[in-house]
Amino acid sequence: MFLAWHEMRRAKVRFGLLTGAVGLLVFLILFQQALLGGLITQFIGALRNQSADVLVYSDQARKNLEGSIVLPEQVAAVGEVDGVQRATALGEATFTVSAGGDDVDAVIFGYELGGPGEPTTLTEGRMPAGPYEAVASAKDRSDGFGIGDTVTVMPGGEPITVVGIAQDLNYSVAPVLFVDFSTFEDAKRIRNPDALAIVPSAVAVEVAEGETPDVVAARINAVLDGVEALTRQQAVDGSPGVSSVRSSFVVILGLFYLVVPLVTGLFFLIVTFQKASALTLLRAIGAPARVLVVSLLVQVVAVMALGSVLAAVLYAGALQGVQNLGVRVEAMPVVVTSLVVLALALLTSLVAVRRVLRIDPLSATTGAGVQA
Amino acid sequence: MSAFRLPLRELRRRPSRFAVATIVLSFLTTLLLFLGGLLDGLFLGSTGAIRAQQADAIVFSSTARDSFLRSRIEADVRSQVEGVDGVEAAGGLGFVLLGAVVPGSDGLADVAVAGYELPPAGVPAPPAVGSGIADSRLRDAGADVGDTLLVGPAQSPIEITGFVDDTAYLLQSTIWVSLETWRAVQNANRPDAAVGVDVVQALVVQGDGVSPDAIDAATGGATSSLSVDDAVYALPGVRQQESTFNQIIYSTLVVVLSVVGLFFSLLTIERLALYGVLKAIGASDRRLFAGIVVQATAVTVIAYVIGAALAFGAIAGLPPDVPLQLTSGRFASTFIGLLVASVLGSAISLRRVTRVDPASAIGTAS
Repeated sequence: MFLAWHEMRRAKVRFGLLTGAVGLLVFLILFQQALLGGLITQFIGALRNQSADVLVYSDQARKNLEGSIVLPEQVAAVGEVDGVQRATALGEATFTVSAGGDDVDAVIFGYELGGPGEPTTLTEGRMPAGPYEAVASAKDRSDGFGIGDTVTVMPGGEPITVVGIAQDLNYSVAPVLFVDFSTFEDAKRIRNPDALAIVPSAVAVEVAEGETPDVVAARINAVLDGVEALTRQQAVDGSPGVSSVRSSFVVILGLFYLVVPLVTGLFFLIVTFQKASALTLLRAIGAPARVLVVSLLVQVVAVMALGSVLAAVLYAGALQGVQNLGVRVEAMPVVVTSLVVLALALLTSLVAVRRVLRIDPLSATTGAGVQA
Repeated sequence: MSAFRLPLRELRRRPSRFAVATIVLSFLTTLLLFLGGLLDGLFLGSTGAIRAQQADAIVFSSTARDSFLRSRIEADVRSQVEGVDGVEAAGGLGFVLLGAVVPGSDGLADVAVAGYELPPAGVPAPPAVGSGIADSRLRDAGADVGDTLLVGPAQSPIEITGFVDDTAYLLQSTIWVSLETWRAVQNANRPDAAVGVDVVQALVVQGDGVSPDAIDAATGGATSSLSVDDAVYALPGVRQQESTFNQIIYSTLVVVLSVVGLFFSLLTIERLALYGVLKAIGASDRRLFAGIVVQATAVTVIAYVIGAALAFGAIAGLPPDVPLQLTSGRFASTFIGLLVASVLGSAISLRRVTRVDPASAIGTAS
């Protein structure tokens, strides 16, 4: 311990550079993990946190709710399938709305009140009881989507009053309003007076007791043409962008997890080579190999701990810059990531440990150090 | 003796000394190319149809918040725009995103059917009703000239008469059609987004010196006009993607700087006695430092080649839905970024080199 601290105090630039590099790498891992989670929640929070067990899209939509339309007769046909308790219309579209004095984008979900498709994460207020009432996404409450605020679909729609707030309800990284289906229909007609008909985007299905969403979705796909039934989780995972964002980030994070231990292992290996003659001398005057190994490992742990602290500070600061993703600073990801990179760094430092263990005290008499 | 001979000879004779730094930098190169490739893939795949517009302004309705899918320009507003001083031509533009059945292929292809009047760069004049010119990425879905695609739930037929490069829209293959075909497809497949016979989503305006502000003033605020560049960045997510990826790329370059700085400062410490000897026999600080920069550059070049090869390998193993696109510009900018970071990182050793006392060589060099 004594050796480890003294060496670190006397080689501040060397250890400072390593700590800085490790801190930046761990920060990038944390930031990208937060970004991945935040992006996915912001893309599909409204789908994940609505009550329908199964969502039935047009088979032309390629699992894209925004690109799906179903006809009223298809809604009725889904309701007739075995295992379906209730099947109701669900509408989704992006609108320009006036909220908090500004024109902003908002996604409006229209559902049949009391039926499947309603938000499940209400934290404040109540569900809509009739037309022109809405549950809004919690992240946007201070932007004109708080309880009692009114939101107007442009140009010149009726004001929609926010009566409830729900957590993690965003969609396509935009504020969300859950309203009754007739309010959704009115909004569509305001946006496009030429509309020939307002049709639902999907069918929201509640499965009967004793049935599972998987089985009911498969049954709907088997008996009905022109539709694609998905469980809630399948709808979330299949949403456009989600799988590609996930696989891209997995590769990027994998590379970062590879680089951190490589950098640390490289550093301690070189340092061990540089200290070869000093370590040999220490062994020759009676220092047990265990002391030298512990000293090395203490330095690894210290560098990784300091780097993780630096990363946590950078992480907390950087998340302020992506508030629009609703990402929160949480201790657990920092702790878990730090422990994982520490374990990986200790693993790669074993190469340096091996070198230390191979030091022959007799070499002190010949001037040789660590053997390759 | 050339200033480069000694450092290059060390690299040749002791390659293992530089191996770990080269490996780490290779992975960082792969990471940088991967991040840059993703950014380029997302940007190019999302914005091609707008970048191709040969326009001095793109005009949206004022309440659309610069979204094509929400914008509606009616005939009276179009007349006002055409009457603005300097406007030489104004053409309608509209998009609808749908699935399409490609003959002989399983499943559906994502397409953006785009109606136009003024041809974008590389796109011929609007084709006959019922036919279209497709973005070349539709070839990957199995489409070919002469195929008739069935588009949307209404299975609207569009015959492909040719292909054009780099005109995708929101990562979907654009099919360029006449406004008449676009309206027919839109109204048949998206009755809720149906448009009247004179309605378009946006106007592409050409004319020397025409400013977007002048157009908006002439329409009394009924429109929101943008330059092509601004319209590109108004597409959903484009600006946010670019700033986020660039932040990650710049942070990774700082890591490269730290790694190279760390490695060469350790190497310098190891060679202090040798530097003392070299200084004692007349080598200048400049010459010794140039040697370090040469080694940093050589390590970076080798790492770049390995990293680029790894990036190509990684791309081949990726699922096709990952929109990664490596451009020659990205290869060049990554190389320059790496080189600058490496040279700056190696400069951290400069102080140590200049502090070596030639007198220390006496009796210490071994």
